[in-house]
Amino acid sequence: MKRGRTREQTPDSHAFPTRPYDLVKEAVIAVIAVTLLTFGLAAVFSSPDEKPVTVATWSQADPADFTATAVTELGGTSATAQYGPPYNTAADGQKLGPLPLQTWAGVKHPIDTANDFVLQPLRQTPEPAAVTAALARWNAASADQQTKWTGAYSDALGKAPNGDPAKVAAGDYGPVPVLTARLLQLGQSGTLDAQLLAEGHYFQTDYTRALLFLADGSYLQDQARTQHLGGDQWGMMNETGNYPGQAWLWLYTFWYQVQPYKSSTNADALVWGTMALLSALLLLLPFIPGLRDIPRLTRVYKLIWRDWYRDHPTPNPGTART
Amino acid sequence: MLTLPPLPARLLAAPIDLNGPGHYLHWGVIQISVANLVVIGLMLIAFVAAILLPFPRKRGRR
Repeated sequence: MKRGRTREQTPDSHAFPTRPYDLVKEAVIAVIAVTLLTFGLAAVFSSPDEKPVTVATWSQADPADFTATAVTELGGTSATAQYGPPYNTAADGQKLGPLPLQTWAGVKHPIDTANDFVLQPLRQTPEPAAVTAALARWNAASADQQTKWTGAYSDALGKAPNGDPAKVAAGDYGPVPVLTARLLQLGQSGTLDAQLLAEGHYFQTDYTRALLFLADGSYLQDQARTQHLGGDQWGMMNETGNYPGQAWLWLYTFWYQVQPYKSSTNADALVWGTMALLSALLLLLPFIPGLRDIPRLTRVYKLIWRDWYRDHPTPNPGTART
Repeated sequence: MLTLPPLPARLLAAPIDLNGPGHYLHWGVIQISVANLVVIGLMLIAFVAAILLPFPRKRGRR
């Protein structure tokens, strides 16, 4: 019966007073104002002007990090090699509680880091005889032997002064030093950038492989952290330099700063799930008791329509129910 | 020796260059850039102004 009474109290929309409103004029003014603001702000402040980080700039600026990363790609121990779907089956990927979301999605962009990032680029370019012999030796070795070589060379690089490959102690590293030294040459010449982008089409639009290789090293992360773009620096809402960033992503990046998200290996899935839940609450706001009463209790509408409420202090069929 | 960019580039350059080291405020777990803080402040001012400023109306009509 209460429902019936509420319906009776709701006035018909035609009972409200009306006023003329030129919507087209309003829209034209808004477009002109935004256009002037856009051009004006661009003229005064310009835009971020950071040089892109490429495999070439990385390998030239930090050859030790490039070489160490190349060894992990060859040995299958890099972050990409161990990530799981959508690149490989080495792990389950991100899970939301018991739900293996990325396993369900499957391996949609298969990447074999040893072949795609190291061996194939070496084969695709004219090889010095030493590299041809090193490739043949690598291919002839067992997987166990390959792992021993890359593991030993990774350890030796870690112990060398500044990780410099030229200062690595003598040891049994098989063909690994020759392969990674040649890959470093390809990287520094810019050839590797083009090879990692090559898709067999006229236009190259898939940067996945180049970005993953870059992300496996520490150079790109160091550059990002310097600009406050790291995940634990609220980086999602920041921009390079002193430019304002994506302030509207504050809630999304906030979760990454607090527990349990901060230390979880499934943080991406957990944050996504939390934001999906909050978005659903926002979508269903009119149906949630308590939350849907906030506008009525805060009475902001009385501030907006203060002229009307000043002239009509007592409720009548033309006023909203309070 | 100081080398200046060519004249057309200088004339077209933005008067305010924001391509420098960013300025950030830290407060506990919160880190925010001054630029973002300014933009958020401007948005709040626009919101309050939208509520408080009177609707434009033609003369003689309420």
